Amino acid sequence: MRRTTIVAMLLAGTITAPLAAETTRWVERTKVDIRAGRGSFYEIVDTVLKGEQVEVLTSEDKWASVRTARAKTGWVYEAALKPTPVQPGTSDFLKGAPGDISTSRTAASQGAKGLYAQDYAKQKGYDYGIVQWIETHQPGAPQIEAFLKDPGETTGGAR
Amino acid sequence: MTRRRLGALAFAAALVLAGCQSGTGVGGNIVSGMQQAITGTSTADLRGATTDIDEPEEIELGRAVTTALGSRYTLLRDEALTRYVALVGNTVALQSERPDVRYYFGVLDTDEVNAFAAPGGYVFLTRGTLALIHDEATLAGVLGHEVGHIALRHHVETIRKEKQAALSKGIGTTALQFGSGFIPGVGGAVTSAAAHSPLMNLLADKVVDLSLKGFSRTEEEQADAVGFKYAGRAGYDPAGLRDFLKAVQDGGSQPTKSGFLAKFNATHPGAAERLKEQEAQLKTAPAGGRRAAARFEQAMAGKPPTR
Repeated sequence: MRRTTIVAMLLAGTITAPLAAETTRWVERTKVDIRAGRGSFYEIVDTVLKGEQVEVLTSEDKWASVRTARAKTGWVYEAALKPTPVQPGTSDFLKGAPGDISTSRTAASQGAKGLYAQDYAKQKGYDYGIVQWIETHQPGAPQIEAFLKDPGETTGGAR
Repeated sequence: MTRRRLGALAFAAALVLAGCQSGTGVGGNIVSGMQQAITGTSTADLRGATTDIDEPEEIELGRAVTTALGSRYTLLRDEALTRYVALVGNTVALQSERPDVRYYFGVLDTDEVNAFAAPGGYVFLTRGTLALIHDEATLAGVLGHEVGHIALRHHVETIRKEKQAALSKGIGTTALQFGSGFIPGVGGAVTSAAAHSPLMNLLADKVVDLSLKGFSRTEEEQADAVGFKYAGRAGYDPAGLRDFLKAVQDGGSQPTKSGFLAKFNATHPGAAERLKEQEAQLKTAPAGGRRAAARFEQAMAGKPPTR
């Protein structure tokens, strides 16, 4: 088949270049948030637990775009995944968390939810409000994205 | 708090909880305390107990440490300033070895020159530290250093050693479980100050204590090295960290500022060496990178600096 013909068919969509095969990976950490973008400040689209399978769609800068068992697609840092099966399980820390995470993935996916730290603060007479203020007064993904695109100024002065 | 780190410059101090020490001193006290707190633990209780620190646990310890920090300092609840510091902080954190950690940044309302990093991604610097900074590249260097302690898991390693010591002393699984403070089942969590894990409390205390004493000299140097790297990768002039260390050094000789730096310099004898190391690193780094002085000054307009 002549090259021009192949190019024409590709452009017309009558044939397609093969997609890279999806790769199965297993979650190696107790709890991993799948996010809407390549950064920890993006919205959480799903949460996967240790031992769960995900399908890797593509990778970029050590972040993998994955599809979860619940058909949610998002980004996860590759270091949280393993190429071989991982035994499901949880940590000693979360074993007794509300809802019993061995049977409730919702409880596990929420982590400790600050309940331990709240108890600690209460015992010590500390104000947990500082945590709540800090966690609710951070810039959102759109603000961070805009900041990353704006270098501010470039002076590159002498050292 | 953390004056020691300050030595490196205040920010070492920052490191907050992490801590320097190696497992003897405070660790021994913790183990002793645990033995008093938990009696009758059987060997069977140790089954399945590990010294691993996962992210949910790290975050909870970071929150606990943050409350302790809040008991010693007043949080500056300036939304615009907090947002700006967090924008710069996230910019450098994206270049770290742990860009998947959710980082939170805050400013403490004190003239003291200091900065802190708590486990799980919580980073604070003081108004006094901001007063020594004159451009965004320098802020990026300071925040890069703090993020470095978290990215290099300096706190986690310390906590893991403490857990290991506790387990070796026969402290049981039940003490390790967060859940001892909850009553599973009907209605979910029921918290009880009297019920929750004594080991978790002791670990949190340990981290707080570490924050007051600072990290080891080696950990400070490691955080400097990666902070320098993160800032450069983010497009900033990596000389920012050097400039901050120099400002701390220079500030110590000024009567109006020396009071806020004296303890730091007294307990952080490595500051001069850290400055020299930064100078050496800069010789091998490509020149350039943004300073973003105007944007920094704009963000600071009408804000904190010095009193």
